[in-house]
Amino acid sequence: MKRLFLMTAVLLFLAVFFTGCGAQETTEPVARTGTLEFRANGEDFIRQGFVSKDGWALTFDHVYVTLAEVTAYQADPPYDPEQGGAVQAKAKITLPGTHTVDLAEGGENEPPILVGKVEDAPVGHYNALSWQMVQADGGPAAGYSLVLIGKAEKEGQTIDFTLKFEQEYAYTGGEFVGEERKGVLVENGTADLEMTFHFDHLFGDAETPLDDGLNVGALGFEPLAAIAENGTVDADLAVLKARLSAADYQKIEEILLLHLGHVGEGHCRGELL
Amino acid sequence: MTKKKGSFLAVLAVFLLSLAVPAAAYGHGVKITYQSKTVVEVTALYETGEPMAGAQVTVYAPGDPSTPWLTGACDQNGRFTFTPEPSKPGTWDVQVRQAGHGGIVHIPVGESVAETGGGTYTPLQTVLMVACVLWGLVGTALFFAGRKG
Repeated sequence: MKRLFLMTAVLLFLAVFFTGCGAQETTEPVARTGTLEFRANGEDFIRQGFVSKDGWALTFDHVYVTLAEVTAYQADPPYDPEQGGAVQAKAKITLPGTHTVDLAEGGENEPPILVGKVEDAPVGHYNALSWQMVQADGGPAAGYSLVLIGKAEKEGQTIDFTLKFEQEYAYTGGEFVGEERKGVLVENGTADLEMTFHFDHLFGDAETPLDDGLNVGALGFEPLAAIAENGTVDADLAVLKARLSAADYQKIEEILLLHLGHVGEGHCRGELL
Repeated sequence: MTKKKGSFLAVLAVFLLSLAVPAAAYGHGVKITYQSKTVVEVTALYETGEPMAGAQVTVYAPGDPSTPWLTGACDQNGRFTFTPEPSKPGTWDVQVRQAGHGGIVHIPVGESVAETGGGTYTPLQTVLMVACVLWGLVGTALFFAGRKG
């Protein structure tokens, strides 16, 4: 009797053991992947130029941004930048490395700047994106996270400007908002996501009503023109803090933190690093 | 009541009934049915509280994130209503855009806890449950076998 009991126990244990192992092996999903591209876009404002809320015609030779920790998420639940918090994700992909790109590069009809791509990204809907804007280690933007080089013209007056920002930021956005839906990656396919930078929030936009929230909150270019010397403004944040009014400097701080980073037309949550 | 009176009343009753039936048959008949539907109303406002009047709306149904299921525009109060297909339960995504600004809202429709996958078991849990049942059967059999012996 005891022997029968023992044999049954051993057989049962072996059956459970092998069934368990077998089940794990057979349910292992085959990884289905595609290529996920990460792009950066300064919009037509940067590539074509625009008129600020106070009438300065702005054109840009270079707009360097340095990007790191660029990460795409299949967020569940969908990420809400108003709520903030960490992105809860079923899957996420990080683009390796730090990348300095020039948002002014390329024609107006060309696609946004390709920052990099991940070729073995799991398929799914990437509906959230985060990135850091960090100081460049070298190159034309060394020591700064954002550099704007261009020209401002108004009523026969021309000002060459170089604005350099050393502060580092982290931006986190939800799903891309725009003409087409982005981030839907199918097997062996290619999808893209976009880090969008809205410089109309900094300078304002003459084509938008002056009482619109965008223009009310924007700095414009007039305060920068006022600190020009010999037709030139070459300033980093320290210089701007010293020479602009406290209110105007605070505007710059708020705009870069809260209004620069977008995913298409959707706002991102900004944090100081 | 006499027999004659009773017969008269019976005939009168049948006559009145015969009047009543055609009256119902010749009236303007209506057939009313109903189907309960979920209507979703989206309200889109700027941060200032101003309605996004005329803003472009795109609705995506669950399971097809790439193809718009419906497009339209907000009314003067920034409102947009639509009726999701009951056969497509899940998260409906509604994107609202205007003048370079926009957002997207995710609306769960017709989903219950059971449908979201709360009642499934992992392979390990299944194996353990089967093992417990088998062990119970074997134990019971051994118990009775031992008593018999």
